[in-house]
Amino acid sequence: MSHLIFSVAWEPNKPVVIEEIEVAPPQANEVRIKIVATSVCHTDLYHLFESMHKDGFPTVLGHEGAGIVESVGPGVTEFQPGDKVIPLFLSQCKECHLCKNPRTNQCEVAWINQAIMAGVESRFTCKGKRVLQFMGTSTFSEYTVINQMAVAKIDPAAPLDKVCLLGCGICTGYGAAVNTAKVEPGSTCAVFGLGAVGLAAVMGCKAAGAKRIIAVDVNPDKFEKAKVFGATDFVNPKDHDKPIHEVLTKMTNGGVDYSLECVGNVQVMRSALESSAQGWGVSVIVGWTDLHDIVIRPAHLISGRTWKGSMFGGFKSKDGVSKMVKDYLDKKLKVDEFISQNMTLDQANDAIELMKNCKCIRAVMSVSPP
Amino acid sequence: VIEEIEVAPPQANEVRIKIVSTALCHSDLYCLLKVVEKEFFPVVLGHEAAGIVESVGPGVTEFQPGDKVIPLYLPQCGECRFCKSPKTNQCDVIWTRMGSKEMALEKSRLTCNGLKLRQFMGISTFSEYTVAHQMAVAKIDPDAPLDKVCLLGCGVCTGYGAAVNTAKVEPGSTCAVFGLGAVGLAAVMGCEAAGAKRIIVVDINPDKFEKAREFGATDFVNPKDHNKPISQVLMEMTGGGVDYSLECVGDVECMRSALESCVKGWGVSVIVGLTDMQDVTTRPLQLTSGRTWTGCLFGGFKSKDAVPKMVKDYLEKKLKLDEFISHTMTMDEINDAIDLMKQGKWYIQPQLT
Repeated sequence: MSHLIFSVAWEPNKPVVIEEIEVAPPQANEVRIKIVATSVCHTDLYHLFESMHKDGFPTVLGHEGAGIVESVGPGVTEFQPGDKVIPLFLSQCKECHLCKNPRTNQCEVAWINQAIMAGVESRFTCKGKRVLQFMGTSTFSEYTVINQMAVAKIDPAAPLDKVCLLGCGICTGYGAAVNTAKVEPGSTCAVFGLGAVGLAAVMGCKAAGAKRIIAVDVNPDKFEKAKVFGATDFVNPKDHDKPIHEVLTKMTNGGVDYSLECVGNVQVMRSALESSAQGWGVSVIVGWTDLHDIVIRPAHLISGRTWKGSMFGGFKSKDGVSKMVKDYLDKKLKVDEFISQNMTLDQANDAIELMKNCKCIRAVMSVSPP
Repeated sequence: VIEEIEVAPPQANEVRIKIVSTALCHSDLYCLLKVVEKEFFPVVLGHEAAGIVESVGPGVTEFQPGDKVIPLYLPQCGECRFCKSPKTNQCDVIWTRMGSKEMALEKSRLTCNGLKLRQFMGISTFSEYTVAHQMAVAKIDPDAPLDKVCLLGCGVCTGYGAAVNTAKVEPGSTCAVFGLGAVGLAAVMGCEAAGAKRIIVVDINPDKFEKAREFGATDFVNPKDHNKPISQVLMEMTGGGVDYSLECVGDVECMRSALESCVKGWGVSVIVGLTDMQDVTTRPLQLTSGRTWTGCLFGGFKSKDAVPKMVKDYLEKKLKLDEFISHTMTMDEINDAIDLMKQGKWYIQPQLT
C-alpha cells in the first residue's frame, strides 16, 4: 500500500520531506490506523534538532495523534475497522511485571532504546529504505501500523481533531501533577515552562485543589493562557537578579509544596527542586532531555525534599487515555484551549518552525478527513 | 585537646547535663577533618550521647535533676511549621539556631580560658557537662543503661529511621544498603524490621560483612570484586534493580550508584550519609523512568517523641544496640578513637565513658 502525505525526516537537523511510502499491512496483534489529526510536540523537535542521533533516522516523526482503525492483523479482537483510537508511545501490555504493578505506568514492551527513540521493527519503507517509526507511533503520516498494546480505543463521540492532544502533552502534564506529584488540596505549586505540558500541569494542579499555582516562564506572553488554566501567580526569571529558586522561596515563605519542571532543561530541573520546601517539598521532572546530567547538593535531599520524574504523566496509557477522553467529553477537562493553530500535514515544516520559535502551544494538523 | 573548661549554668529553658557516655560518629570527623572554615573552631565536638540532668534553668518543668536524658542535635520545638507537619522531622530550630555561626557562638555556654567555644550541633557531648535547650533533650526510661543507649543519639536512629520512616521499606521487598558503618548497619536492622525479604549490603571492606549478617543482611557485595559499575552488578543480581536503596557513606559517587541501582518504575533511594561539599549527579531519565530520590536527617524521626520510644524498644529487646559497640574507651583516649575511625579499622563507635 503506498500513500502520499508521509513527512519523512531523512536526517537530523533538516526539514521533513513529504514522500510516498509503503506501509505494510498489520501483522499479528497489530492495527493499521488512518491518522485523522496530529500535532507537533517538543519531543519531536528534540529528536530532530537536539539529540540528533544518526541511527534514529530516517524516521517519520509524530507521537501525538488520533485516528480510525483501517484494518487489523491476525489475533486482534480488541479493535475493528472504524474504531476511533489514539496511538500510544508508551505501551500497556498488561502482562509484564511493570504493568501489573499499580505504582508505575512503565511497560517492558515500550520502545526502550531512547537513543534512537524508535522500536527495532518498522512497517514503513521509502525508496527501498526502511524508515523508523518514531516512538513506535509516527503520526505525521496518513497511515501507521502499531501493536495493539500501544493503541487506546476511545469514545466514538470524540472529535479526533481535539483529542489527538491527549496522545502526549496534556496527559503528560496533567498526570505529572495529579498522579506523580500527587498535589494535595490547599497546597502551593510552581510550574516551570508554559508550553502545552506546563499548561496541562497547571490544569492538573488546579484539578487537584491547589490553592496557589505559580507559573514560571521567560516569555511573559504565555502568562495569559496560563491564567485560563488556573495559574494564580506569574514569574519571569528575567525580571529578577536573584536566582529563581530564591525568588520563589521568598514569595512562598520557604518554598513550594510541589514543583513541576515542564521545560526539559537540566538547570531548570535544579531550580525547580531548589524551589520546593524543605521538609516535604516534591519536585517532578516532566520535561524530556537525556543529554546532560542533573545536579544537586545532597543537602537539598537530606533536608527533606523529594525528586521524582514521570513519563506520560504516570498514566497507565491504555486505561488512562480512554478515561481522559471521557473526562473531556464530560467537560471535566480542557483540551480545545490548547489549540493555537489549525494546519494540514503538508505544512509540517511550518508547524515545526512555529514550535521552534515558541510561537505555538499546539498546532493541530489535519491529516485525513475524519 | 583535653582541656578544663567553664560550663555556664543553664539559663531559661535550658538544662545542664552530666554526660555519662558518648560515642564518636563519622559526622564529628567530617567536621574536624573536612570543614575548613576557621570560624567554625574552636568547638567541642560530640553529638551522640546519654547523661543525667545535673541542674535546670528557670522555666523548665519537663526535667529535674537526676533524669536520664539523651541530647538531641535535631531538636523538636513543637511550635514551628515543621514540627507541626506530620510529613517531616526537620524542626526549624536546627537550621536557624545552629546553622547560623553567629547564633551558635552567642548561645554557647562553654568557655575555655575566656574564649567562647562553639557547641557542636548545639550540644557538644565530648565533655563532662554540657548545656542544652530543653527542646533538644529527650527524657528516657530510668532503667536505660546510658553506656548503650547513647548510640540512639545519632547513628542508630539515623540508619534505622531512614529505612522505616523515609524509604518506608515494605515487607517482601529487596533492599540495598551502601556502607556498613553504624548508620548502614542500623539501616540493615531497619530493613529487616520492616520485613524486607532480601537485604544486599555493599562495602569495599569485606571484614564488615559478618557484622552485617548479624543485623539481617542476606547478600554481600564488594564493588572491588567486580569490573562493572556497582549499579549494574546489583541490577543483574536482582533482575532489574532493588526496591529501596540507602546510601550510608556520605559520598556523592555512592549516592549516584545507590539511585541507579534501584528498579525503574518504583525504586526509592534515600541519601542518609552526610556530605555537602560536592554536587551529586545523575541522568534525568533515572527519575523520569520512575525512580524517587530523597534524603533524611536523623532517620526522619521527630526527635523528642521518638528517642524515648527507641530506648523503650531496646529495653524490650525489639532493637539491637549492644552489637554496635566495638570499643570502650575513656574520654582522654579521644584522639585514639578518632584515629581508629579514620582508618576505618572498625566500624562502630567507641564509647567514651
